[in-house]
Amino acid sequence: MPPFAGLDSNPAPTRTKRDSNIVTVDVGGQIFQTTQQTLTLGGPKSLFSRVSESPFIDRDPELFSILLSLLRTGNLPSRAKAFDLQDLIDEAQFYGVEPLLVNSLSNPAQFDAFNLEKSLVLPLNGRDSPSAIATTPFGSVHVAHGSKITSFDWSMRRKSTVLTGFTAVDSLLAISPSLAAAGATDFSGLQILDLEKGFVRESLNWENVTRSGSTVQGIGSSPEFLFASFESGRRNSNSIMVYDLQSLRPATEIGHCEIYGADIDSAIPATKLNWVSGYGLLMASGSHSGPSGVFGNIKFWDIRSGNVVWEIKEKVDCFSDVSVSDDLSGIFKVGVNSGEVFFADLRNMGAENSWVCLGDGRKVVNGKKEGVGCKIESHGNQVFCSKGGDIELWTEVMMGNSKKREDGLEERVFRKNLMGRVKDMGGSKITNLAFGGNKMFVSRKDQQNVEVWQSSVRGY
Amino acid sequence: MEDRTSQSAPGPHPDDRVKLNVGGKLFETTLSTVRSGGPDSLLAVLSDRPTHDPNPVFIDRDPEIFSVLLSLLRSNRLPSTARRFSKQELADEALYYGIESRLKSAMSPPSFSGIDASVVATIRPASDGLPSAFTAASDDGSVWIAHGGQISSYDWNLIPASTIRTHLEDITSIRRIWPDIAAVGSESAAGLHFYDISGGRHVGSTHWSDPSDPRIYKAQVTAISDSLSSVFASFDCPHRENCVLVIDKSTLQIASELGRQSGGSAKSMVPGKLTWLPERGVLVASSVTSGAFGCSGYIRLWDPRSGEVVWETIEPGSGRSSRFGDSFADVDVDVDEWTLFKICSKSGDLAMADVRNLGDDPWVYLNDKNPSMINRSEGGGDSVIHCYKKQAFVGREGGLEVWSRVEGSENRVEGESGVCEGLYRRNFVDKLKDSERGIIKKIEGGGNRLFVSRENAEGIEVWESSNSSAAVLIT
Repeated sequence: MPPFAGLDSNPAPTRTKRDSNIVTVDVGGQIFQTTQQTLTLGGPKSLFSRVSESPFIDRDPELFSILLSLLRTGNLPSRAKAFDLQDLIDEAQFYGVEPLLVNSLSNPAQFDAFNLEKSLVLPLNGRDSPSAIATTPFGSVHVAHGSKITSFDWSMRRKSTVLTGFTAVDSLLAISPSLAAAGATDFSGLQILDLEKGFVRESLNWENVTRSGSTVQGIGSSPEFLFASFESGRRNSNSIMVYDLQSLRPATEIGHCEIYGADIDSAIPATKLNWVSGYGLLMASGSHSGPSGVFGNIKFWDIRSGNVVWEIKEKVDCFSDVSVSDDLSGIFKVGVNSGEVFFADLRNMGAENSWVCLGDGRKVVNGKKEGVGCKIESHGNQVFCSKGGDIELWTEVMMGNSKKREDGLEERVFRKNLMGRVKDMGGSKITNLAFGGNKMFVSRKDQQNVEVWQSSVRGY
Repeated sequence: MEDRTSQSAPGPHPDDRVKLNVGGKLFETTLSTVRSGGPDSLLAVLSDRPTHDPNPVFIDRDPEIFSVLLSLLRSNRLPSTARRFSKQELADEALYYGIESRLKSAMSPPSFSGIDASVVATIRPASDGLPSAFTAASDDGSVWIAHGGQISSYDWNLIPASTIRTHLEDITSIRRIWPDIAAVGSESAAGLHFYDISGGRHVGSTHWSDPSDPRIYKAQVTAISDSLSSVFASFDCPHRENCVLVIDKSTLQIASELGRQSGGSAKSMVPGKLTWLPERGVLVASSVTSGAFGCSGYIRLWDPRSGEVVWETIEPGSGRSSRFGDSFADVDVDVDEWTLFKICSKSGDLAMADVRNLGDDPWVYLNDKNPSMINRSEGGGDSVIHCYKKQAFVGREGGLEVWSRVEGSENRVEGESGVCEGLYRRNFVDKLKDSERGIIKKIEGGGNRLFVSRENAEGIEVWESSNSSAAVLIT
């Protein structure tokens, strides 16, 4: 930031230059002075950049001084607490600097896993508990409950509730703060919903050779593409469709399986689709629970060639949930039998039996299903795993003198902590974990609300 | 900068006036005020301009916070208007103007006295909030808390600075050995480990090993202390062999080993507390074991250079016969006054001994007949003691009391019993309701703050002496 003018070494000739650099504004009768550089930080479209053309603004001077402080320092001053957040948002919208306000209050860079506290509850009307949560990078959140989707903006203000054609939304993905992709395992088609106006913008379908309808098992996205995992209504074929995120036209299709006979492995549709940007691969995972136990597979797809780069077949202690982390360069799963967290190094892709147990590895797998319903999600440098009503936070410890393993990679150390204060512990079983902005969103079984965990933000 | 001052022909006079335009508001002050922020502060640099320039210097910052900081420069204290701003904001703005040392001295708590202190804050980490160990990191009032294998650091304003995760599951001792480096030990994992708090990295480990002695393995750290050049850590093996290792602070290598012992009896157990006495150059080690027949233990003074024991006492066994069976429950050293304080486990009495004059029985038992100080919990089994600012703080169950010396009273020791009355006065620091928060586990002072942790209570309490005339910001 260039906040001071007049620090020039030879003052006499620069006087005119300095005078032109200082901008004087009269807001509601109060005089403010600032520099042109500060004003341009508001962006070319903001009213701040045009303030020098009209030196009188008929607005509240106190709110203006708060926004001016925001421009100068990038943070809201503490006197902003005297106002409702809504006043600030309205005023920021008037001046066209709302992105700056979002940046200072809901910036993903402020996410600090160690300092998350349960701070807000977003109530949902009606009797349905949340079935899916979708977030945007700056913390807007869409919550599907029953056949409805309720949206909250980055300031956690309720924006809208729309009705969908689904009886229950099973997978939800936020494309933008107002656009979401939704699908259900009992309803045909992937719907792109405009959540502001409440209409279906597009309905995307996949049909197999028999031209029967298909249900959506999972949705994922990369910066360019939208991925959807379909299974045909008769459950005899499945596929992952790749759509262009902008035009929503089909780009390609990967992993099309038609099932003839009893090949259980190909009959499992992918239920979770994660884009691994560091490797340019799509991780698709799915599992099937049968009388002889849970089987599953995790496949890494190269979407350009349509080939599987790496496949992990899960026969013993299959994952109950799996997540991939770019920052940690690893895959994390919760074993359905053991309930323990496992890690596989992405840098060691292709290795046989790559899982390393991070929890208690000696635990006997005795057919109990301790990991059923556990959720695991990675965000930033941490992995969050829910067990019942508690959340474990896994962190990598950077060891100074780590030993090398046989395969040449250094041994990595992960440690866990339980999140929250004593009073926050327990509670009903966690059904969803999601992250956006500086916040974590948690939904629980039979609770008609979404918990918001956030690190304390300066100013607010 | 220098040639600019020489340009202005008549050198600037300290009383010369300086005009500043901060965010559209005009301020006028003197050169001496502006320069009092230090030679490197932004204001001092700006004021080095030639004085004949009629235009005020323009600074594009918030004028209201500036007026607070200008008052700070003028009067060396924060005006009441400072309450409108958060501590963080003031600190950030002071950093911008380069006068954070002035802000630090104005905002730091007044000189701590146990007879006039109250809880100003409780620091609670967001997760795993039960502190397993903490260290009042340096004299600026910052603190590092170990909780659930994590270390959270809080700066001089008690604002959370960072949290890091260590590979240990349970940190039972922590010590700040460099401004950014913590030495940590655990009673459930071997070795002394060094962590970079700001970088969040493990930087090294020290293990006690002896290839010639198979009983020495998996040595765990029970206590850590440090001097200017060395770190002292007591190590304990699963079969109770123990010693104190002297570790070089800069290389983190073992320099020497003090007093290896077998741990077979109470007088050879591992020390649970280590304190370095800088001016005497001795290390005070103490160990307490409590069993079915009460407490037993020893206090030992080491000279680390020669590796010799300078003085030791073993209880029960030494000292006056009337005090037999009343061995100490906890010991601490007043580093400034060269005094040892012990708290007796049965009677709960406090006794002191002069480190400069230790003999067979140096203890002087302090007596205070303050009628309001009824010893509700008889005995001192659960007591902890900590010396800070020439006062001795005793945590007895949940209650916090302070023993302070009465100025001008002479040291009268009454005959054989060694009881001394009136030399020290005993007072409660806390209120009755404070004591209900739980048994006090650890007390430590630093930067005019007293930090107290309690059993099964989340977070640590911060006690400060009040100063009603200055703006003490309480969050």
